[in-house]
Amino acid sequence: MTKSPLPENGKPLAHFVSKAKFNPHAVEELTPELEKYYQASQHKLMWWKFKNHRLAYWSGILLIVFYTVIALAEFVAPYDYAHRHADFIYAPPQGISIIHDGALKAPFVYGRTQELDMENLQRHYPVDKTRRYTISYFCKGDAYEFWGLFEAKTHLFCVEGEGKLFLLGTDRLGRDMFSRIVHGARVSLTIGLIGIAISFILGITIGGLAGYYGGWVDMVVQRIIEVLQSIPSIPLWLALAAILPVTWSPILIYFGITVILGLLDWTGLARAVRSKLFSLREEDYVLAAQLVGARPSRIIARHLVPGFMSHLIASATITIPTMILGETSLSFLGLGLRPPVTSWGVLLKEAQTINVVVLYPWLLLPVVPVIVVILAFNFLGDGLRDAADPYH
Amino acid sequence: MLRYLAMRFLAMIPTLVIASMLIFAIIELPPGDYFESYVAELQASGETVDPAKIDFLRIEYGFDKPLWQRYFGWVGGMFVGDFGYSFEYERPVSELIGGRLFLTILLSFATIIFTWMIAFPIGIYSATHQYSWGDYGFTFAGMLGIAVPNFLLALVMMYFANVWFGVSIGGLMDPVYIDQPMSMAKFGSILQHMIIPVVVIGTSGTAAMMRRIRANLMDELQKQYVITARAKGVGPVKTVLKYPFRMSLNFFIADIGNILPSVVSGAEVVAIVLSLETTGPLLISALQSQDMYLAGSFLMFLAILTVIGVLLSDIALAILDPRIRLAGRQSK
Amino acid sequence: MTGMKHSGFVLIILAVLVWPLAAAAVSIDDEPPIFAEQVKSGALPPMRKRLPSTPKMLDFATSGKQPGQYGGQMRMLMGKTKDIRMMTVYAYARLVGFNPLLELEADILQAFEVKEGRIFTLRIRPGHRWSDGHPFTAEDFRYWWEDIANNKQLSGGGPPQSMLVDGKPPKFEIIDELTVRYEWHAPNPVFPLALCGSSPLFIYSPAHYLKQYHARYGDADKLQEKATQKQARNWAALHTRLARQYRPENPDLPTLDPWHNTTEGPSKRFVFKRNPYFHRTDPQGRQLPYLDEVVLDMGSTDIIPAKAGAGESDLQARYLRFDNYTFLKQAEKQHDFKVRLWKNGVSSKIALYPNLNVADPVWRDVVQNVKFRRALSVGIDRHEINQQLYFGLAKPGGNTVLPASSLFDEKRDRAWTQYDPVLANRLLDDIGLKTRNSDGIRLLPDGRPVEIIVESAGESTEETDALELIGYHLRDIGVKLHTRTLQRDILRRRFLTGETLMTISYGLNIGLGTPDMDPEELAPVSAAQANWPVWGQFTETGGKAGEPPDLQPARRMVELYHAWKRSNDGSQRKAAWEEMLALYADQVFSIGVAGETIQPVVVSNRLRNVPVVGIYSWAPTAYFGVYQPDTFWLED
Repeated sequence: MTKSPLPENGKPLAHFVSKAKFNPHAVEELTPELEKYYQASQHKLMWWKFKNHRLAYWSGILLIVFYTVIALAEFVAPYDYAHRHADFIYAPPQGISIIHDGALKAPFVYGRTQELDMENLQRHYPVDKTRRYTISYFCKGDAYEFWGLFEAKTHLFCVEGEGKLFLLGTDRLGRDMFSRIVHGARVSLTIGLIGIAISFILGITIGGLAGYYGGWVDMVVQRIIEVLQSIPSIPLWLALAAILPVTWSPILIYFGITVILGLLDWTGLARAVRSKLFSLREEDYVLAAQLVGARPSRIIARHLVPGFMSHLIASATITIPTMILGETSLSFLGLGLRPPVTSWGVLLKEAQTINVVVLYPWLLLPVVPVIVVILAFNFLGDGLRDAADPYH
Repeated sequence: MLRYLAMRFLAMIPTLVIASMLIFAIIELPPGDYFESYVAELQASGETVDPAKIDFLRIEYGFDKPLWQRYFGWVGGMFVGDFGYSFEYERPVSELIGGRLFLTILLSFATIIFTWMIAFPIGIYSATHQYSWGDYGFTFAGMLGIAVPNFLLALVMMYFANVWFGVSIGGLMDPVYIDQPMSMAKFGSILQHMIIPVVVIGTSGTAAMMRRIRANLMDELQKQYVITARAKGVGPVKTVLKYPFRMSLNFFIADIGNILPSVVSGAEVVAIVLSLETTGPLLISALQSQDMYLAGSFLMFLAILTVIGVLLSDIALAILDPRIRLAGRQSK
Repeated sequence: MTGMKHSGFVLIILAVLVWPLAAAAVSIDDEPPIFAEQVKSGALPPMRKRLPSTPKMLDFATSGKQPGQYGGQMRMLMGKTKDIRMMTVYAYARLVGFNPLLELEADILQAFEVKEGRIFTLRIRPGHRWSDGHPFTAEDFRYWWEDIANNKQLSGGGPPQSMLVDGKPPKFEIIDELTVRYEWHAPNPVFPLALCGSSPLFIYSPAHYLKQYHARYGDADKLQEKATQKQARNWAALHTRLARQYRPENPDLPTLDPWHNTTEGPSKRFVFKRNPYFHRTDPQGRQLPYLDEVVLDMGSTDIIPAKAGAGESDLQARYLRFDNYTFLKQAEKQHDFKVRLWKNGVSSKIALYPNLNVADPVWRDVVQNVKFRRALSVGIDRHEINQQLYFGLAKPGGNTVLPASSLFDEKRDRAWTQYDPVLANRLLDDIGLKTRNSDGIRLLPDGRPVEIIVESAGESTEETDALELIGYHLRDIGVKLHTRTLQRDILRRRFLTGETLMTISYGLNIGLGTPDMDPEELAPVSAAQANWPVWGQFTETGGKAGEPPDLQPARRMVELYHAWKRSNDGSQRKAAWEEMLALYADQVFSIGVAGETIQPVVVSNRLRNVPVVGIYSWAPTAYFGVYQPDTFWLED
């Protein structure tokens, strides 16, 4: 047994004196990292905090990729979303191979030919291994007008020659599902943003006013909210969609629907903001701000709203999916966007038959990007929520 | 408190008046009327309708009168319990809604209980175990529930429930039990058919509620009183449940106003897909065929329920958080 | 239809039955088992007493049916509650009606005699009874004519259109207790057609039941009390509700149909039970129907294919579409049913209706030009549409009679339906639409591009898909199509006010036309016609609204239609029909695509006597009606 540095039981501790030079500022001295942390601006702190949330970080990047894709939809999609391939109606998704006859090749697809099954009235697409089509990049395909600026034919990828590339299969008119999903994202990913912007501006302003002033302002706002909330959303959608003039072009209808979704969605948020403000406005720091002479708008925006930012972000992450799905519900009721405009809602509506579930399940695939986007928004929201409150 | 309650009761009156006007506008807004859409539908299948007969019906039901007269006729009728007449079903509105109300409420309560049973424990777990695998897992599962459009999920589940378990497609019971007196077999069939709608409607609501509980609870958990409680050595369960959880329910209670009407109307879209005998599909088809008194009176019924729900939630909030009681006037 | 071609309506149709011979074969054992107990106890008279003394004996030999057994329940799926009317359509018990060979014969009536096309004598079968056992007599006809059709409170508009000739009603006479006569001053060929229609004209009502609700026969105060109790505004509203025969919602209302409703709505399931007094028998003299019960399950229309595929229907065609066939065929393996391929009897499954009354003056000139319509018609590759949408199983053609009709003439009715883009381009060049813009779209005289907005009720994807293909074809001839989906009633209003340029919808119901059927759909006679609503309104209202046709061929159509209506001679009618068909095809008043498309029919493997191949159409077959569902039976 080695000798312990501690004294035996009952004996006093040995006296210890540090020989180091006394530095009276030692407690305040910081490591370089800590120094950076304490000196960083609030925004910088938020960014660090956000970056630490790996899922949120990657979700953010994924969403950036998605939004880049919708900006370049025509280029990314191998075909025009309305291009019919008459010989490939209801063709199932096609795999990309890299091995042919045991040898490694550049990515390619095999050819397929249509066979009619007149007994069941079904189309089959057996793979023909004798025909191989290599995938090429930046190649010429369907012509398109890019953002109405210039005409182009270049697509990110396609197959050479006579071959066809249907990564996610084709629909009942032989249109490439992958291209349709890419084009549809353009509407689906923007409708939520516009809708939520409208709903947030209305919700925070109206709820904020009601919550801060109380009294008759609150009374009036409460009544308006109550009236709007007292009517289920679907009848309201139905009524508002019915008054969109039938002569409007599909794109105007799209904006009309966005505005409708936004106009009807703010009430829940406004109520939440209001009740939160009721508690917050009793806080001392509000009193302090009032005494200093801050105007109400400043108090609401600078002192109160940050106090429940996390709640706002949480409901935003919930609301964006609701908006995206709201569009699908409207499409389901035959009131939303209609072909030829393509959105994920339109695609899902078209998949809403028993035939698809049983025979052509790949037409249900638009559900995958919907899920991915909603998850991404949610995780992003989590990260932002943390970042909004970096001192915790 | 009494004064507050009185104020709230009085405030219900203008709300209901405005709501009734808005509802009347909703059912009047779409161009055309029931008879027009009825004729159009019949003609689509090749049936012919005598135009003179339609004009006769229109006058018979007072469609030739000016708008305000019809509005007052409708509102006035409701005071004496006359909710109007459904053109589509050729019978009084009250009979139609009454017949479907029981199953709707049953379904809604089942859904709410399902939602609560899942959302509360998971919400609390997620808030206290932030960024753990469990938190991510539940978030993911909940998000899946939101992300899959209900109408699609309903269709797919309905089909596979039939293929795998032999549950008859659509409806809230096997067709042979319709209009039969309640029996064990019928009740079993109802339970069996309720699983899909409850799960489908419940999943989306569950995820939303879970996220809210989590977010609000996390806000509360960071407050000083929680730290104090911890420092005092209060057990972890009690620390969470005693105050922070209660406080985080504020948002939830503010939502009661929305729950009441949805209990009665049910989830319309899912009910349409699954062809449930609830009130939702009745309302939507009435709106689409412009069966205006059916749609209008039903909406009004829902509006009244909401207003009562909001009242209840306000009272509950006032009890839970006395600061709100003072909301009548700015306190400082 | 051969029986009618020669004789027109100057025909006497007698039930040629030798009753006593058949009756001898029926014994108590042949009672439907469900009635056996009641008959034994005397609660119900025996079958012989329940049948009219000369029942309607059906001919099974020509229709290839087998005598069956009593009992069983047939389930069918329906959409809305209103679909309960399909029961009246399917049951197809009419005063006069078509048999499976589409020949018109007396059905409920013993005889239906027509003189000069204007004097109609109706003879009731002696001993015929309502489903509650009360005798069916001339009083029931009188009640309807005097107390319903001519009662201001019950029928504000007076007697129905089909009972008016030049706006004048007939003279109604009761000859004896079982004979009534309707006499007009001029021929009324529409009258018998209305009686045998899928949605028939009911000129009789169960007087013994309804009198208790009629102000003429009851005390006003008591009636008001009854009305208030049943939440109706007044006695007239209550009477109307209770007396509705087409929509058999009132379980207490006696009927002459093979089954009577026993469910008081609102419900999702309506149970129809056999009528003990039904007037038809099988060749052995056994009373029909075979089936004890028919059940209608109401569900949303979208899941009906899924339900049918799960074997939840014994006989289903309604709400099943062609594209459900593959799914149903697969489901056939797991469930006890087979899918049959029937033919759709509509003249063209999809048809384009250019609106000749469009408000825009420039467009109106273009659309009214026959060359434009012909160009559009020959610019469509019907063969491709047939291949893509119908697996090549339909028959490409115009919106006119089908080859199955006796009036069909290949050369005449297939005019302007070939695919000839060169001709189409030439025709369009001819009418001054020569210049094109940079996209290759032709320009109207005022410089706007030839872009047609086709409006549709958007109820089937088939329509949108066909339009997509048509749009593709028409691009090649410099015409661009856009689609817009609207609700059906809004659509109607829009074409009537001339806002709609073109509509896509179903074809005409004349696919199986005969000279004795009403050719009204070929002429502008109704405001509901999408191709000439304003002219149609003019004819319909007798000149009070709308405008007279200002296009010679359309005017000729009206003339021909009136010629058909006034004639009581078969060959004259045929001539009118033929000229109308020729004119319609040559003028391309609407553009058909393909007819005789497939209608999948799900039939339970146990259900017998359902034809393997049939024609599914509203008129004249009343969907299943002419195939006599009362002869369908279930094998154990």
